[in-house]
Amino acid sequence: MTTIDRMRNIGISAHIDSGKTTLTERILFYCKKIHKTHEVKGKDGVGATMDHMDLERERGITITSAATYVSWAGHSVNIIDTPGHVDFTIEVERSLRVLDGAILVLCAVGGVQSQTITVDRQLRRYNVPRIAFVNKCDRVGANPFKVRDQLEEKLKHNAVLMQVPIGLEDGHRGVVDLVEMKALTFEGPGGENVRVGEIPEDLLAEARKRRDELLDAASLFSDELTVAILEEKVTAGLIREAVRRGTIARKLTPVFLGSAYKNKGVQALLDGIVAYLPHPGEVENEAVDLEAGGTAVKLVTDPSLPAVLLAFKLEDGPFGQLTYIRIYQGHIEKGTELWNTRSGQKIKIGRLVRMHADDMEDIAEAGAGDIAALFGVECASGDTFCAPGLNLAMTSIYVPEPVISLAIKPVDQRSLDRLAKALNRFAKEDPTFRTHVDPESHETIIQGMGELHLDVYVERMKREYDAEVETGAPQVAYRESITARAEFDYVHKKQTGGAGQFGRVIGYIEPLAEGAFEFKNEIKGGRIPRDFIPSCEKGFRSVLKKGELIGFPVIGVRVVLTDGAYHEVDSSDAAFQAAAVGAFRQVYRKAKPQILEPIMKVSVEGPVDFAGNIFATINQRRGTIVSSVEDGTFTRVDAEVPLSEMFGYSTVLRSLTQGKAEFTMEFLRYGRVPAPVAEELAKTAAAGKG
Amino acid sequence: MVKTPLTKRSPLRILEDYTHGGPGPGSIAVLASPKGVGKTACLVHIATEKLFQGKPVIHVSYASRVDYIITWYEDIFKEIARQRRLRSAMAVHDEIIRKRVIMNFKQDGMRTEQVLRSVEAMITFGKFSAETVIVDGYDFALATTDDLRKFKDFASRMELEIWFSASLRETGGPLFDADGTPCVLSAHRDELDVVITLHARGDRVELRVVKDHDHPAAGILPLRLDPKTLLIARDK
Repeated sequence: MTTIDRMRNIGISAHIDSGKTTLTERILFYCKKIHKTHEVKGKDGVGATMDHMDLERERGITITSAATYVSWAGHSVNIIDTPGHVDFTIEVERSLRVLDGAILVLCAVGGVQSQTITVDRQLRRYNVPRIAFVNKCDRVGANPFKVRDQLEEKLKHNAVLMQVPIGLEDGHRGVVDLVEMKALTFEGPGGENVRVGEIPEDLLAEARKRRDELLDAASLFSDELTVAILEEKVTAGLIREAVRRGTIARKLTPVFLGSAYKNKGVQALLDGIVAYLPHPGEVENEAVDLEAGGTAVKLVTDPSLPAVLLAFKLEDGPFGQLTYIRIYQGHIEKGTELWNTRSGQKIKIGRLVRMHADDMEDIAEAGAGDIAALFGVECASGDTFCAPGLNLAMTSIYVPEPVISLAIKPVDQRSLDRLAKALNRFAKEDPTFRTHVDPESHETIIQGMGELHLDVYVERMKREYDAEVETGAPQVAYRESITARAEFDYVHKKQTGGAGQFGRVIGYIEPLAEGAFEFKNEIKGGRIPRDFIPSCEKGFRSVLKKGELIGFPVIGVRVVLTDGAYHEVDSSDAAFQAAAVGAFRQVYRKAKPQILEPIMKVSVEGPVDFAGNIFATINQRRGTIVSSVEDGTFTRVDAEVPLSEMFGYSTVLRSLTQGKAEFTMEFLRYGRVPAPVAEELAKTAAAGKG
Repeated sequence: MVKTPLTKRSPLRILEDYTHGGPGPGSIAVLASPKGVGKTACLVHIATEKLFQGKPVIHVSYASRVDYIITWYEDIFKEIARQRRLRSAMAVHDEIIRKRVIMNFKQDGMRTEQVLRSVEAMITFGKFSAETVIVDGYDFALATTDDLRKFKDFASRMELEIWFSASLRETGGPLFDADGTPCVLSAHRDELDVVITLHARGDRVELRVVKDHDHPAAGILPLRLDPKTLLIARDK
């Protein structure tokens, strides 16, 4: 087992087209795990190894987070593929959670682009230390010096060049390593031979100047280095130690250069990952103690402690379900017994593997800090496994209710057969994705957290499961509720020949501040026989499923039964259920019902120049701006906006801000629909009923 | 709409009475005291009273965290709701919250024009028709007369009443000049319409008007800050 200080769990983050996939492939190649590299654009129809989902390639975004194991210079490196899109909050959260460090890939021509800003902000949010790689130095117009400046100006990184290029554009041959003060050139058909030589004469002055800058920046993190500079006894080791400290503290960003496509500089970047990014023991991780009322517990990267694992990704492979895990504490091996703190289920570790994209390697054990995959474990993505005696959760147990639904219909029998498998899989992977069959329309309904969220799953049905579906219009999950207390007295009576029915219920309904429904029986003296009380409750529950205003579930209702009457022969379970249904219909309008809609917490970020546009978009959407935070270049606007107004927002925002603003949203609460909108909804609902 | 007019009992009414109707649209008022005396609470109280009257407020802050300010509003709202025995406090709360926007700026290098540009964008593009702007945490030691003039011009042009807090830091010299004006504000006296200073006197805090438009200032007010709630209260 690799010792902790020789492990790295890293992600590669980039703007689309900065060459992230090519870089990943080259990294795998040099680590001798794959023997041939393919161009991303797929000329040979094989494509890159990491992005094994066609959909991702088509959209240029990465949705899943496969983890790939490589080894370099005696270190184990797990490369976790990170989604670059802001909408898949849970997915992003999980993959960023398992990273200890990241490579921020930039294009030597394009520099810091809008999506670079997005991914950098995500990394910042999760306190992930990063090193930068300025790729495509072989391109016309490449200027890594300019890119370094942009890192400083646009991203506020304290960026420092670790290298200077040997030639740019067509003449790009390699880099000068400013730590060792040696020239590195890359030879052989795949650039696999790294030749270390003297710095070319014409670059010497530039290299010295940049090295001084590096020493200046690095010395802030090491007194030893400062002293060594004064005494002119600087060693490569001292510089690395100082840069490492600055990087892990997220106060320094070392910048590497090269061209993954032309096989230049990737090995030096790998050395940089090992030298400057933290090992798992240098990163603080916390779990929530489910016993102690949700207090935070620090986890210790020690293999001898009781084990704590997070299942961060599920995948369907040819051999069944594969569960990607990160071990935060303790260690596991074949036969280790653990339990799932969400479901309570016990598991026994069977087959334990390391993944290389679509290839795997069996391993005997894995310890704290490591990433591996398990076979044959039933669980959902985001579940925590603990050793017996511990009851911790790595991610929040709270899963928001879906706020949007979509009716889907398979186009043919084949698709219908495959659809069930797809839906089952998605629901397991993502707790915010739900599915059911509507009892009335017999349509399959999928529910989720937003428009794009469901779009992606519809696409995945087609790509991964070959299940093609037609979709209806997205539907907001409205609710109905009451605002006043109202009394009922209802008799259900059918006593004209045959078996009769009789039941009478008296009581009131009133608003319930918290929760969906409460039933209280205050009848004294058996005016309704005890056996029929549950029948009444059942009746009320059933009628609440579909409110009268627009046919959505009624929430926030307390029903109190105070009196009633029965008939020796004609009263029955069915009669009292019917009485309850009748009573609620009688009283609902009197209780001043209202329509509620999901209100989303929306956070928009963009350059300050667009602040006005952002304010305007919120205002036009019935939104309330809660706050705005400005730091000189960026502004973040936090607002509360009804979900129904957010359809198509990403397109509007993109076009208004030249793609420079982004937003995230999550469900906040249910809020009252304003009268004019409510009338409109009621009208539509009535028309729908025909 | 839950508009509650300033009652005669309202301590803020007294504040207005002693400053010729309060600062008013186009004016700048400053609440000055050393750190920790209760300026922020006082400003939030003034803002909350405006909100109760149905008047939207923009709260500009240079503090590092927005949640800290929101907590102030929550606390002061709760206290006022308690004192006035407000029924359906939650409904009132939800309604007045819609009339408040917090705009946070990182102080370092944030230029006055940029701050004003963003506030104006909030009013015009965000259709947020504020009448009052609260500016908390502005560093007067770094302010130039030009900065203050820009705020003043902005207040006039947009017809806003702007309330500042000014923190008085020990510099070795006197904190107040001969008129009782804080020295850090002396240079800007012309741009300021109302200046009120807070003074800790044992376990109570008194309020003193040191500038009142072009009128002679009223001096010590029959008001104090309640040491527990930090709300402005009538002097008993």
